[in-house]
Amino acid sequence: VSETPSIDRRRAMLVGGLAVGGLAAAGLVAPWALRNLGAAPPGVFLAKGQRYDASLEATIRDGLLAVGIDARGLDGRRVLLKPNLVEPSRLRPHMTTHPAMVVAAAEVFRGWGAEVTVGEGPGHVRDTEMALLESGVGEALEDGGLPFADLNYQQVAWRRNRGRFSKLRGLYLPQSVVEADLVVSMPKMKTHHWVGATLSMKNLYGVIPGIKYGWPKNVLHHNGIPQTVADINASLPRLVGIVDGIECMEGDGPILGSPKPMGIVAVGASLPALDATLCRVMGLVPERMEYLALASQRIGPIADGRIEQRGEDWRTLVNPFEVLAEPHLERLRAIGGERVT
Amino acid sequence: VPASDPAVSNDPDAIATVAVASLCRAPVGGYGLGSPDASEPTAWSALALAQSGEAPAARRATDWLAKLQARDGSVGVMADQPDPAWPTALAILAWSAVDGAGYDDRIERGVAWALAQKPWTEERHRVFGHDTTLEGWSWAANTHSWLEPTAFFVRALRGAGYEGHPRTRQAVKLLVDRLLPSGGANYGNTVVLGQELLQHLQPSGIALWALEGETVDDPRLGMSLDYLERAVREPTGVASLCWGVRGLAAHGRDVTGLAAALAEAAPRARRAGGVYKRALVALAAADIVRQAKEQAS
Repeated sequence: VSETPSIDRRRAMLVGGLAVGGLAAAGLVAPWALRNLGAAPPGVFLAKGQRYDASLEATIRDGLLAVGIDARGLDGRRVLLKPNLVEPSRLRPHMTTHPAMVVAAAEVFRGWGAEVTVGEGPGHVRDTEMALLESGVGEALEDGGLPFADLNYQQVAWRRNRGRFSKLRGLYLPQSVVEADLVVSMPKMKTHHWVGATLSMKNLYGVIPGIKYGWPKNVLHHNGIPQTVADINASLPRLVGIVDGIECMEGDGPILGSPKPMGIVAVGASLPALDATLCRVMGLVPERMEYLALASQRIGPIADGRIEQRGEDWRTLVNPFEVLAEPHLERLRAIGGERVT
Repeated sequence: VPASDPAVSNDPDAIATVAVASLCRAPVGGYGLGSPDASEPTAWSALALAQSGEAPAARRATDWLAKLQARDGSVGVMADQPDPAWPTALAILAWSAVDGAGYDDRIERGVAWALAQKPWTEERHRVFGHDTTLEGWSWAANTHSWLEPTAFFVRALRGAGYEGHPRTRQAVKLLVDRLLPSGGANYGNTVVLGQELLQHLQPSGIALWALEGETVDDPRLGMSLDYLERAVREPTGVASLCWGVRGLAAHGRDVTGLAAALAEAAPRARRAGGVYKRALVALAAADIVRQAKEQAS
C-alpha cells in the first residue's frame, strides 16, 4: 500500500524548488542545481559503511557537492554548524552528534573558505560547558581551533514566523543564527518518543534560545511540537543537513534509547527530503509524521518520488528502528509488508 | 594560568577574593563572551559582592536590576528583553541581600508579580511521573512549572518573608516531587513513558539549595545529596560544580574537600567572560569558607 499522499506534479516541483531556492538566493547552490531549479527534485546523499575514525571529511564533502552546494559560493561566508547536544552524558554517546562529525564538517567548510562557528542551545541543560564536556565536542573544538557560540544566552532578534503552522507570530533567534549565511543542521539519527524521529528538522529546536523559551523550550511545546518544528524550519531559509547516522539511537529516544549501529552519513539541502529519506531507512512512514507532513505543504518534499537519491539507495539500507509500544509511535511504523514510499 | 595566580591555590578564601575583586571592577555583566548584560548573572554578582561586604559595587548591580523592573514588578532576562521575567526571583534575592529596606518597594512589587503568575497545570496523566497539578513557577508565561525557576522563587519568597505563603509551600512540595526516584534532578521531569530520566548536577544542586531549612520527610532528599557528593567529584562545568557545592553546603554535607575542584574551575570561569561563572565561584567559595569556619569553631 503506498502511503504517498496525492500531490499534483506542478505543486511538487514548486515545493522541491523552494528548498534549493533558499540556498540559491544566498548564492550557495551550484550552477547545475540552479539550472534545474523548479524542474528537478532536491537531492539526498547517503553514504554507508561510515566510521568516526575514518575519512568523514571526504564523505561530507562528496555529499555536499552531490546535493548541489556550491563550494566557491562559500568563500568568506559565515557557516554555523549546529550539532545535537540536547542533554549530553558521557555514558550515552549515541545521544549526541559525534565530535568527529562536527570537526569533519568544519574542515570541509573551512577548506572552502568559510568562517565556521559551532553553535548549540542545549534544550535540557543550562550548563553548556558541561554539555560540551560530556559530549566530547568541547575538546574537539579546542583541538580544531573552532569557536563555539552558546545559543541559549546570546543577544536575540525577533523574526517573523514564516511558517505560521503554529500561532506564534514570530521567533526569537540568537545573534549567531541571524548573522549566519548558512546554518548546517547536524543531528544524531534517533527515534523520538513524542514525534517519532528527531533528525535535521527537529534538531533546529536547538537554535531557539533557552533564555527566552526555557529549559525545556516549553513555549514551543505549548504551541505544538510538529507545528513549531515546521515554523522554525520555514523561518530559517539558509539550511543544509548533515546527519550523524553512524551510531544511532532507537527505542526511547531522544535521551534514553538504545544504541543502534547504522554506519550512515546523510546530506541534504532540503531538510524535509533528507529527514523523510532517513525515516524510510528507520522503517518509519514519513507521511505519518506530523512535522514532515506539515513541511511537505510549503517547505520541501517528502514523497520518495519527489526526491533525487544520490550515493546509496535508501532501500538497501533499511534497518527498522525499535519504537516504544505507544499508539502514537506504533502508527508510524512501516509494518506487515507495507511498502514505505 | 600562571602559577602565581592566587586562584589556583586551594584556599577558598583566596578563590573568593579573586572572584569578588573582578566583580567589583564590573559588577554588571552577562553569561560569558558574546552574551549581553543580563539579569541573572548580575543578580548573582550582587549577591556575591554583598556577602563579601562590597556594598558600593553590589549596589551598582542591584540598581541596574532596579532599572529593569517593569511597572508590573517583573524583571526581564535582559535590558531589552522584558519577557520572560523569571529573573524577578533573583532580583528580589539580590535586593533583599544588598539593602532590603532601601529596595522595599521593589521587593514588594516583585513579590506581587510572582504571586500573580499562574503556570500551566494539568490533571495527572500516566505519561508523566510528576504531579502536573502542582503550581511552581515557569520559565516563560503560561507554560508548565519547572525546577530551577521554582527553586529561585522559593528562595526569593522565603527571603522576602513569604515563607508560609501557600504558593511557597506548594512550590516546596513541587521541588520534592520533582526529585528523581533514584535521587537528584534534571530540568524537572522525573519519569516519562515509564522511564526514569537522567540526573544532572546543576538542577540537583539548585533544588537542594532551595530546600535548605525545609523539613523534608522523603528519602529522595538524602539520595539526592548522596548523588551530589558523587557527581561533584567528576569533571564538569563551572556552574554545575558551584551548584553542587551550594546544594551540599545547604544541607550541612562536608564541602571543604571541594576547594581544589573549585580552584581548578576558577580560571575557567574567568576565561569564560561575563560575570555569571565568577559570581557562582565566589558564592560557592564563600559556602566552603563558612563551613570551614564552623568546623573550626
